[in-house]
Amino acid sequence: MPPVGERPEPRAGWQRPALIVLALALAALALALRDLALRLPPGQWGAALLAPDATDTRQMLVHLTVMPRIAVALLCGAGLGLAGAVCQQVLRNPLAEPTTLGISAGASLALSAATLWAPGLLAYGREGVALAGSFAALLFVFGLAWRRALSPVSLVLAGLIVTLYCGALASALSLFHRDYLIGIYLWGAGFLSQQGWGVAAFLLPRLGVAAFLIALMVRPLTLLGLDDEAARNLGLGLTGARLAALVVAVSLSAAVTSAVGVIGFVGLAAPAIVAIAGARRLRDRLVWAPLCGAALLWLTDGLVLLIPTGYREVPTGAATALLGAPVMLALLPRLRKGVLWRAEPAAAVPRAARPGLVLAAGAGLLALALWGALAFAYGPRGWSWAGLTGIAEMLPWRGPRVAAALAAGAMLAMAGMLLQRMMNNPMASPEVLGVSSGAALGVIVALFLTEAPSRVVQLAAGTAGAFAVLLGILVLGRRDAFSPERLLLAGVATSAAFGAIVAVAMATGDPRVGTLLTWLAGSTYGVDPGEAAGFLAAAAILAGLAPMLARWLDILPLGAATAQAVGLHVPRVRLVVMLAAAVMTAVPTLVVGPLSFVGLMAPHIARLIGLQRALHHLVGAAILGALLLTLADWAGRTIIFPYQMPAGLLATVIGGPYLMWLLRRR
Amino acid sequence: MREPDATGRTDAPLFEVEDLTFAVADRTLLQPLTARLERGRVHGLIGHNGSGKSTLLKLLAGQQSPSGGRIAYAGRPLAAWGRRAFARQVAYLPQQPPAAAGLTVRELVGLGRYPWHGALGRFTAADRERVEEAMRLTEVAGFSDRLVDSLSGGERQRAWIAMLVAQDAACLLLDEPTSALDIGHQIQVLALVQRLARGGLSVLVVLHDVNMAARFCDELIALHSGRLIRRGPSRELMNAADLQAIYDVPMAVLPHPETGMPVGVAL
Repeated sequence: MPPVGERPEPRAGWQRPALIVLALALAALALALRDLALRLPPGQWGAALLAPDATDTRQMLVHLTVMPRIAVALLCGAGLGLAGAVCQQVLRNPLAEPTTLGISAGASLALSAATLWAPGLLAYGREGVALAGSFAALLFVFGLAWRRALSPVSLVLAGLIVTLYCGALASALSLFHRDYLIGIYLWGAGFLSQQGWGVAAFLLPRLGVAAFLIALMVRPLTLLGLDDEAARNLGLGLTGARLAALVVAVSLSAAVTSAVGVIGFVGLAAPAIVAIAGARRLRDRLVWAPLCGAALLWLTDGLVLLIPTGYREVPTGAATALLGAPVMLALLPRLRKGVLWRAEPAAAVPRAARPGLVLAAGAGLLALALWGALAFAYGPRGWSWAGLTGIAEMLPWRGPRVAAALAAGAMLAMAGMLLQRMMNNPMASPEVLGVSSGAALGVIVALFLTEAPSRVVQLAAGTAGAFAVLLGILVLGRRDAFSPERLLLAGVATSAAFGAIVAVAMATGDPRVGTLLTWLAGSTYGVDPGEAAGFLAAAAILAGLAPMLARWLDILPLGAATAQAVGLHVPRVRLVVMLAAAVMTAVPTLVVGPLSFVGLMAPHIARLIGLQRALHHLVGAAILGALLLTLADWAGRTIIFPYQMPAGLLATVIGGPYLMWLLRRR
Repeated sequence: MREPDATGRTDAPLFEVEDLTFAVADRTLLQPLTARLERGRVHGLIGHNGSGKSTLLKLLAGQQSPSGGRIAYAGRPLAAWGRRAFARQVAYLPQQPPAAAGLTVRELVGLGRYPWHGALGRFTAADRERVEEAMRLTEVAGFSDRLVDSLSGGERQRAWIAMLVAQDAACLLLDEPTSALDIGHQIQVLALVQRLARGGLSVLVVLHDVNMAARFCDELIALHSGRLIRRGPSRELMNAADLQAIYDVPMAVLPHPETGMPVGVAL
């Protein structure tokens, strides 16, 4: 019997996707015609395209900038849409796209490193450097996931970790070499402006070859959408098929990235939009996703051109999320169960024989770390050890920061644990769901609207932002009892829109961006004793209340049907858990910014070292989160004394390798 | 330690449904259905694939809201029952039990005690005793400390049934509990269900194998295309004409060579 709750499948799933693509394309066309008409009388358009009069500046301008720009927008959009559709199919995850596999992060890191240390390489063309970075990141991801036959969950997880890690390293570089790397920012934001047909000529054959190869792979790709056993049973070599499909998709998106920079969200949104609109079969999605991506990017670019250029042009790559996110949010209610998302049976996980002992060891380690963070430091006269007695002297200076890091780490980790259990998705975390982004957005608004906002104003603005996102999630999710897949997609859309706004803000070259960058990376620098006490109290209260949710958190991963069968009021339970997670996110985001990823890493590490029951998992995650941020904060204060590195950034640098090692080991 | 039902009316029928329908978009999965289920019996729900068996079970379990009509449990509308109070009365096993990552059998069975102790109540010695008893009854005690996901299909199914037994409900709704079991374990599980019913429980079980259904159920309810077409004591329904109407294939009924029980065979 088919799963109840679905509408009968429409025979042909092409009308609605076609309608959406047509609407987007028509709007883009109208904008493009308006732009052209301003530059050139319609009678000369044909001539400008095919045989421009070299003496007519207006014709040459249209021929060399306006028209190639449209072509590049269409080609990039199509390429990203196609690559995204393939990745989502192979990884069986609606959140997968080439960037999920670490490609743009690897490219960006490679470019940053080359700019600083081997500028000679860039002379050969940054495309090559970007491609090398992309493939290095991808190889790393494959290496991490190889033992699990490149299974979707492990691939996505490995991709996420590598992305975070490259991102953290690149941000660390950019903090110290901001002046040198300003060009990378602009490149990273994805400008489409053209000075000729070169880029279009670079992209067209690559798109053609990739489309041809993917057309050859339609059947194995369809099988990959089944679960592993069924696909293997039908005679498909899983690793080989996944590898081939991913290499094509990634090469395609790496070509796009190296040509115009990072264009986020199109690869994610285009396949999601057509799938939600009813392109149910893979071959439909493979046809409509590129078309939708092309139309989406073209329209975005048209809108970007409408914005009057001030100090600098707004990068199109960043603006895509601003347009795509609302489109996707509007379509979410149409998302049908099972079209995009199929729960993956979790891989066998280790289980600690004595979880109590593990927790006690963790607590001991945390105590040691706290002592070290307070007593051990690098100063003007080299390393110093305050021992036990000297701590009191140092407490007023180091105490608030250590306390803030401890509290923030514990809270973020608990929030991540709640969300991962509730959604039964290893990618769920406050950072991924956009709650952190909401808090950060609030602070940014405060930063730009008021002159030097006080800490209190920032706190208020951040809290308001986090709750606004939460409220949006609640309104959106209420309709179907907060189904995890919709929440995740909504959160990703929110995060993407936030990233776009930050990228735009950075491109403005506003001096306040420096402050923003430091805060986004997560710094405990400005915490005063009063705030630290407040954070500690909040963490203590939340940590005291959270164990009351433990039984729910044991049951929720078994799915809604079972949870309800044993007597849980599922919507109400999900609401309570989400509220708890939101509060646990909003408070620490104000301390360490939205990019620490402690909320993603700590619960994973806790689970991978064998803490499986909800209560053990919760306590273990909290201890690990606190440990991670405390160590990161300490390292940030000492490594490059007298300068400082933000704790949130270092937490990723410290925790990332351990998480990778655990992932590789299991 | 079973509580009397919340209304105190133990004479009320187990389930009472009136004009119950369920439709998705323009497809009707369950035609208006009116029926009563009595207490203390094993009811077998049979029918062809897609006949609405699972849908009916989900509606009775409160997993889905009906498109129309009324369902009452123990004389009280389903909507009026609190979730936990209802879970103390009715336990439901879905057709495909989900993965239970990282849980041992004992812990999974322990989750069945949730309706009794709730989110914060103490997990008492009595709870522990019920868990042990449930594992003993379903013969999963031998691997109680193994991870559920490491078990074979049959062992896993029995672990889930153990969880339902630990739930200590007055009524079990089972959606093909024997689908993953070999014939020995099928008989074992159904015999257990029958024993539980003799002890006062009521059971509604979806079964594919009509002979198993006839052997272990007191009464059979047959659905066809979302409509109730036959209902009666198991022995009475085991005749060629009725079976043919239920499964749409020519059937014959032979006496069992030893017990003399009627056995249905597709021709």
